[in-house]
Amino acid sequence: MRILLLLTAFVAAQAQDGASGSNWPSYGGSSYFWRYSALDQINTANVKKLAPAWIFSTGDYVQGLQSTPVVVDGRMYLSTSRSQVFALDAATGRTIWQYKYPFPKSAGVNTQNRGVAVAQGKVFIGTYDDFLVAIDQKTGRELWKVATDDAAQCGCTITAAPLIANDKVIVGSSGGDRAFRGYLSAFNIKTGRLVWRFYTIPGPGEKGHETWKGDSWKFGGGAPWTTGSYDPALNMIYWGTGNAAADMYAGNRDPGGDAPNVNLYTGSILSLDADTGKLKWFYQVVPKDVWDYDAAFECVLVDHEFKGRMRKLLLQVHKGGYTFVLDRETGEFLNAFRIVDEETWVKGITEDGKLVGRNEPVPGKVVRVCPSAMGAKQWNHTSYSPRTSMLYIPVIELCADYTSVEQEAIEGASFGGGNFDFTQAIQQTAGKLAHIDGYDIATGKRMWSVPQRNIILASMLATAGDLLFTGDPLGNFFALNARTGEKLWSFQTGAGHRGSSISYMVNGRQYIATPTGMGGAVGTQISGLLEDGPMFRGGSTLVVFALPGDSK
Amino acid sequence: MIRLWPVFFLAALASAQSTGQMIARGEQVFNQTCANGYCHVAKGAGGGAAPRLVARGFDEPYIAKVVMSGVPGTAMAAFASQLPPADLSAVIAYVDSLNGVTPSANPAGRGGLQPPVAIKRTPLSPEAEKGRSLFFEATLGFGRCSTCHQVGNLGLPVASPITAIPANVAALKALKTPHVSTATADGERMPVLVLSQGSKAAIFYDLTSAPPVYRVMDSVQVNIAAGSSWSHASAIHAYSDGELGSILAFLRTTAHP
Repeated sequence: MRILLLLTAFVAAQAQDGASGSNWPSYGGSSYFWRYSALDQINTANVKKLAPAWIFSTGDYVQGLQSTPVVVDGRMYLSTSRSQVFALDAATGRTIWQYKYPFPKSAGVNTQNRGVAVAQGKVFIGTYDDFLVAIDQKTGRELWKVATDDAAQCGCTITAAPLIANDKVIVGSSGGDRAFRGYLSAFNIKTGRLVWRFYTIPGPGEKGHETWKGDSWKFGGGAPWTTGSYDPALNMIYWGTGNAAADMYAGNRDPGGDAPNVNLYTGSILSLDADTGKLKWFYQVVPKDVWDYDAAFECVLVDHEFKGRMRKLLLQVHKGGYTFVLDRETGEFLNAFRIVDEETWVKGITEDGKLVGRNEPVPGKVVRVCPSAMGAKQWNHTSYSPRTSMLYIPVIELCADYTSVEQEAIEGASFGGGNFDFTQAIQQTAGKLAHIDGYDIATGKRMWSVPQRNIILASMLATAGDLLFTGDPLGNFFALNARTGEKLWSFQTGAGHRGSSISYMVNGRQYIATPTGMGGAVGTQISGLLEDGPMFRGGSTLVVFALPGDSK
Repeated sequence: MIRLWPVFFLAALASAQSTGQMIARGEQVFNQTCANGYCHVAKGAGGGAAPRLVARGFDEPYIAKVVMSGVPGTAMAAFASQLPPADLSAVIAYVDSLNGVTPSANPAGRGGLQPPVAIKRTPLSPEAEKGRSLFFEATLGFGRCSTCHQVGNLGLPVASPITAIPANVAALKALKTPHVSTATADGERMPVLVLSQGSKAAIFYDLTSAPPVYRVMDSVQVNIAAGSSWSHASAIHAYSDGELGSILAFLRTTAHP
């Protein structure tokens, strides 16, 4: 192992360090969500020798494997779509324990699980039926569980990995395409007791409530359905929220007038005090969303120079095809740089972040919109490398034909308020449906771009070896040069990629682990759309790579 | 508001319209509920995440079963609890029509399934209806009754089923809870509802605050004693007396095994 880890530890007292080292301790690699490993044993010079070290099949393959493994002190914790958790020896794949959550008989949409959190001797998983469960990290025994909601009533689920902040475990809710009101809940790690709950839609008497018409706030969506980020220095957590509901019809929720914010805090980036859950600031990316444009994706926290001075930045890639750059202390808008070629939902974004020239679906008319509701990026995550100052983004170029229909809310039921259809619109971007790009975060300049034949639905992983790893739906797991985008290595893993790869080290050996197995709503949908779709194989297998013993 | 549809209405509503009207309504429901680009797509044409539905050779009992009960382990939800009966029949009739099947008069009834019904098969009085809403009211968060009580298929069964309904609000507020004990662990005392207590492990709900927490502890870690300072009155403080009266009216209409 090289000395980079020691060096970064040495300077950590002054500088922010969002890198992971021997451990991959949390969902985002660190609470800053860089998804960047400081390990460099595997690098541009030797990556060609990378070979499978061990392979683990979970047996839970119905919805594929969308998870991010967590590694702590040589043990890996891996969740599957049906809320099972495995503890594995991270060097060999040997099963240490298995936790089987009793999966409910009646399954609805989104039966996937994207990962666990590990802290203070416990492993935490959110379940399909809205429980948060604490498991003993050593034995796999259940310690406590608590219901965040009644799944039969809310139609909501937990798909995201929880976030740890101090002595709390914080989890969001999925379900914003239904008649549902989003929230975040924080529980005490030791006792499981609720510490705070933050509704993403203000109730009567709360600031922001006036941005809703009538009772529409009760079922207005705004689900914070991915995992947030945490800045310990500021003691703030950051979380994106999903679309407003009904997704494509705003007539019943728009209070009228010309206020800059409509339907708060949907389609927004939120900053909350980690201890109290009190809102510090918000930035509404899309007021009065009608495109199913969640702003729910990961918030990447980077201290970096911006226009000549050091700033505490927050970057979020948005479904609408822009990367938003904010000051994470204040929420001040700094920049929005465009990442898609095809874009018609707005004519543009002003220098202070205002949307101009909205192209909205309206009842009685089919309106083509780019990007589609699938987003210019899906939930699969970006990666940030401090060595290149680049954010690596998997971009989707896909349009959709929208229809908008007035719909009444029935609690917990599907609440689309319209429809979107790709079957014709896909022709518009045929042949250039996807690319992986490296963007300079300070300037928003695209430094390189690598076209992809198929849409990339797996997360990016950058390492100090100047490598960028990801996988495609055909099963290819590959490494690009993080500085140039040049492809350096590829391996056919046998099943499509819809999860998040990680890197870690055990006994001086660096590993790269990737989940395989296509699944989930978007994964299946992509399969139905693309020519190669029949070859996007399902499954639920973790494939782990390392350099052969003699080439380290 | 969640709707629990009395079976009482089912036949009456479904037969009140012609087959053509039913299919037309079914297409509307389908477009709003099932045709989303993530799922079956307009006209069940496929290309979304869910299977194509047009010209699959499905018969009505199969379609009805899938619509009502869902397909366990897949994204197909059970819509019996999500759509009113007339809309269930209509959407089944519409999918029938995509498969060249002439719908029966009452397709939702053909599946032999019933929506989850927590209440007697008579319409509720306005007050009981109000009480039902309040019992499950989502905007009350963990202050609602269904945080701890299950009625029908809704709510969480932390408490044992409600079998005796207090005569009035005063009696409800004075409700004694002798089955709540006091646990002492790590130097902390907490009111608990014990589920099991063996030589190895003690399993209980910690009632210190809402929502209750299901906890498993080593028996040697925890000491459990009879009685507690916990009161049901403190758990229902989100409701006014008038609202509690409505809730009691609702509970009196509920069916019990």
